[in-house]
Amino acid sequence: MPSTRYERLTEKIRESIANPKNSHALMHCMQRGRDKRSEALAVLPGGAAFRDEVKKVKDQCIENLPGLLDQFVENARKRGAHVFLAKDGAAAIDYVLRLAIARGVKTIAKSKSLTTEEIEINHPLIEAGLKVIETDLGELIIQLVDEKPYHLVFPSVHKMAEDVAEIFAKATGKPVSSDIPSIMKVVQAYLRPIFLEAQMGMTGANIGVAETGAIVIETNEGNGRLVSSIGDCHVCVMGMEKIVATVEEAMLMVLAHPVSASGQLPTTYVTWMGGRLPLGEGDGRAPRESHIIILDNGRTAMREDQDMREALSCIRCGACMNVCPTYGVVGGHTFGYIYPGPIGIPWTAQVHGLEKAGDFAPLCISCGLCKEICPAQIDMPMMIAEVKHRDAKTHNRPRADEVMMGADSAARLASACAPLANAAMNIGPVRSLMESVAGIDSHRKLPPFKRGTFMKTFARRAPRGAGGIRKVAFFVDVYANYNAPELGMAAVEALEAAGCEVVVPDQQSSGYPYIAYGDLDRARETAAYNVARFAPYAEKGYDIIATEPTAAYALRVSYPKLLRKSGKSKRVSERTYELFEYLLQIEASNTTTQSAQFAGKRYGFHVSCHQRPLGAGNGAMEWLTRHGAQVELIETGTCCGMGGTFGMKGGALGYELSMEVGKPLFTKFKESGVDAIITESSVCAIQLAEGTGLPLMHPLALLVKK
Amino acid sequence: MGSNPSVVDHFVQAFEKVSGVAHIARSSVEIAAQVVAVATEKNAKRVALANLPDNLTGAIAEACVAAGFEVVRDPFLANTLPAAIDQAQVGVTGIAFGIAQTGTLVEIATNDVVRLVSALPRTHIGVVAASNLVEHYDDAASQVRKHFQSNPAGCVVSFMSGPSRTGDIELKLTLGVHGPESAHAIIVVE
Ligand code: SF4
Ligand code: SF4
Repeated sequence: MPSTRYERLTEKIRESIANPKNSHALMHCMQRGRDKRSEALAVLPGGAAFRDEVKKVKDQCIENLPGLLDQFVENARKRGAHVFLAKDGAAAIDYVLRLAIARGVKTIAKSKSLTTEEIEINHPLIEAGLKVIETDLGELIIQLVDEKPYHLVFPSVHKMAEDVAEIFAKATGKPVSSDIPSIMKVVQAYLRPIFLEAQMGMTGANIGVAETGAIVIETNEGNGRLVSSIGDCHVCVMGMEKIVATVEEAMLMVLAHPVSASGQLPTTYVTWMGGRLPLGEGDGRAPRESHIIILDNGRTAMREDQDMREALSCIRCGACMNVCPTYGVVGGHTFGYIYPGPIGIPWTAQVHGLEKAGDFAPLCISCGLCKEICPAQIDMPMMIAEVKHRDAKTHNRPRADEVMMGADSAARLASACAPLANAAMNIGPVRSLMESVAGIDSHRKLPPFKRGTFMKTFARRAPRGAGGIRKVAFFVDVYANYNAPELGMAAVEALEAAGCEVVVPDQQSSGYPYIAYGDLDRARETAAYNVARFAPYAEKGYDIIATEPTAAYALRVSYPKLLRKSGKSKRVSERTYELFEYLLQIEASNTTTQSAQFAGKRYGFHVSCHQRPLGAGNGAMEWLTRHGAQVELIETGTCCGMGGTFGMKGGALGYELSMEVGKPLFTKFKESGVDAIITESSVCAIQLAEGTGLPLMHPLALLVKK
Repeated sequence: MGSNPSVVDHFVQAFEKVSGVAHIARSSVEIAAQVVAVATEKNAKRVALANLPDNLTGAIAEACVAAGFEVVRDPFLANTLPAAIDQAQVGVTGIAFGIAQTGTLVEIATNDVVRLVSALPRTHIGVVAASNLVEHYDDAASQVRKHFQSNPAGCVVSFMSGPSRTGDIELKLTLGVHGPESAHAIIVVE
């Protein structure tokens, strides 16, 4: 039986799909964020290379955190700041409350701080009789309606101008017209007295700089400047992971944060506060104070948890939110607790508890895109898998997830029984049975199984290509083995034609579904099995070639992570290539055979998500072009929605959500006027065929001798 | 550092890209005239001045008074703040250095009244010497460090790249939500 939390999640997904207004606004925001980021990176010297720098710096700072923390505290105190190390939210709230009472504070003006949201500081302060006002416009909007952020950077993105006008009409008791300039006037008039009267200003800090003891606050609106300068008592609540060693490192973060979020360089205002300053001259003021509360709240434990530690590198830029396919449909209220989006899953697990994270973790379809956009290159997909894995110890997985993880054995069975299995798959009652028993959506047209597998065909073949200049160990994966052995053979022959000796070591399928559904024990077993079989080849100088993008991703990216960077897994990773990037390198450029098959046709190329960190499909596109195909890249920058096997599952947490995610891409393909779609991913192909009605082709089909 | 025309050009381009307005001035008389022109255009009644060299404060104050504006300037009495600045429509502050690559003015404050002058009025004018413009964003780090070191008791460094902005309603870029809706830079070339 599905657990109630599963039903709750299903219900929320269906609500989002039925009321697409929020999702439209959100997806527009995400697309804009991605576009602006790309524009900015196109002119930034070094482009996306700053990510390597950010990762290096953050890794180092987290490694040296205890020392940096001491240094920061010492230097901040030298500048007269009061520093309090809060072990949790309660301790931080208690400190602020006592301070506010002691100083006779009535009004607290806040500038945006996710850390104060994490500990939900506003409610207890308000209950104690204080007036606590958010001054960042987006935060104020959601405060007035008592909601949580929909997006990290744009918390109120789901509120349209008319909603906002209504919210302020209610707050001020006067009508507000819904054009933005009028709203702005009302907002200014509403907030200006708050800025002026607040005895206490509360901010977060984007960065703490150990060498100077300064905190850095980034804002666009300028509210952070007012909040930190007017009230005599300034309180900054900073997560302890925000500390960096030097001014140079801080400068890097100041750039990385907005450029990743929205392509800005840097935010309009960056305030570096090194101690508290007097305001004016002469008497008549209370003493000017600075209180820096450094929050632990699970961070120390996170640092000690080798599978979660990386999450501490998050600089809260929100870029991962701009690319996450399922988040775009359901938004931060479903895909989040307080911290929304991809990074929201590990952070929620660590600071708000596994149970809360497990409520929305199944929304992650493990496409890996968040990791590729993250300025700190945080491996969110793997951490989310870990969250699912831990969560499954107390909750049963939905049956469909179990089925998908067993896809390899199911395929083995089906292949043995083909063509019976194929006939059965097209019979309505059988499909409904498959849906109700195995959880496979009955809409899906599944690829037919072939009786002979690739492995058998290859084994029967007379050995050839021995003594080739290059040696290749071929990785097959499920689809080419059971559904399309002829494509696998075409790949082998192409490699041999280019002068390679090809061997096919004993192997299991990649096991990526174990990662996607969070069974890391089995994921590790599979990784260990394959690495043990392929490492000896890698060590003898063989290159490892995979045709399925997800398999190449597993070998190159996931296995070393799963196997904790063992020497063998690293050697396998280093020698793994996608078929076409490899063919391009080794084929003499005079092999431009023009294929008649391509004449007069236009093809749209689809990049599978797992190809993004590999060759991003460039290998296949260039190779196709070389062979005479007119091929163009068609993309939205996010996923087609299939998410490996996710979209095969029946229901909201599968097929329905998957098709909703794919819509913008389907539209793009349909509007492009191409004759067919080419993709290397067997599962994306199923999704795109259904979503667009266009013919789908694997680039290898070109190589199959008819 | 050192002033060369390309740094100035780069700064102007980048500052305009972030919706700022840049002016070039060659003397304190020209600076004062430009402040008066902006204040006139904005229908200002009160102009606040902070963080400027004494002689420049004098020159601007004189020109503003002559043009009929009320001027607030140092000494700022603690018990008149923040109201005295809140009532100004234009704030003029001295800028330690600028970053050409990003169109950023960097203000160094050792008294928070400086920050009020650049943050509360609807129009901010930053005055920066062309010789204090650095080309690259990365060049700013050593400057930031230097200012912290020379002000051990307290120092606030503010990067300001154009006017206050928000995209919080329908992602539409809107200027001047809390702070200045217009940001000017007067670049002083010798
Ligand atoms: S891996 Fe994909 S689906 Fe999962 S959180 Fe990241 S972007 Fe979202
Ligand atoms: S996880 Fe990475 S992309 Fe997401 S908010 Fe944090 S730093 Fe940005």
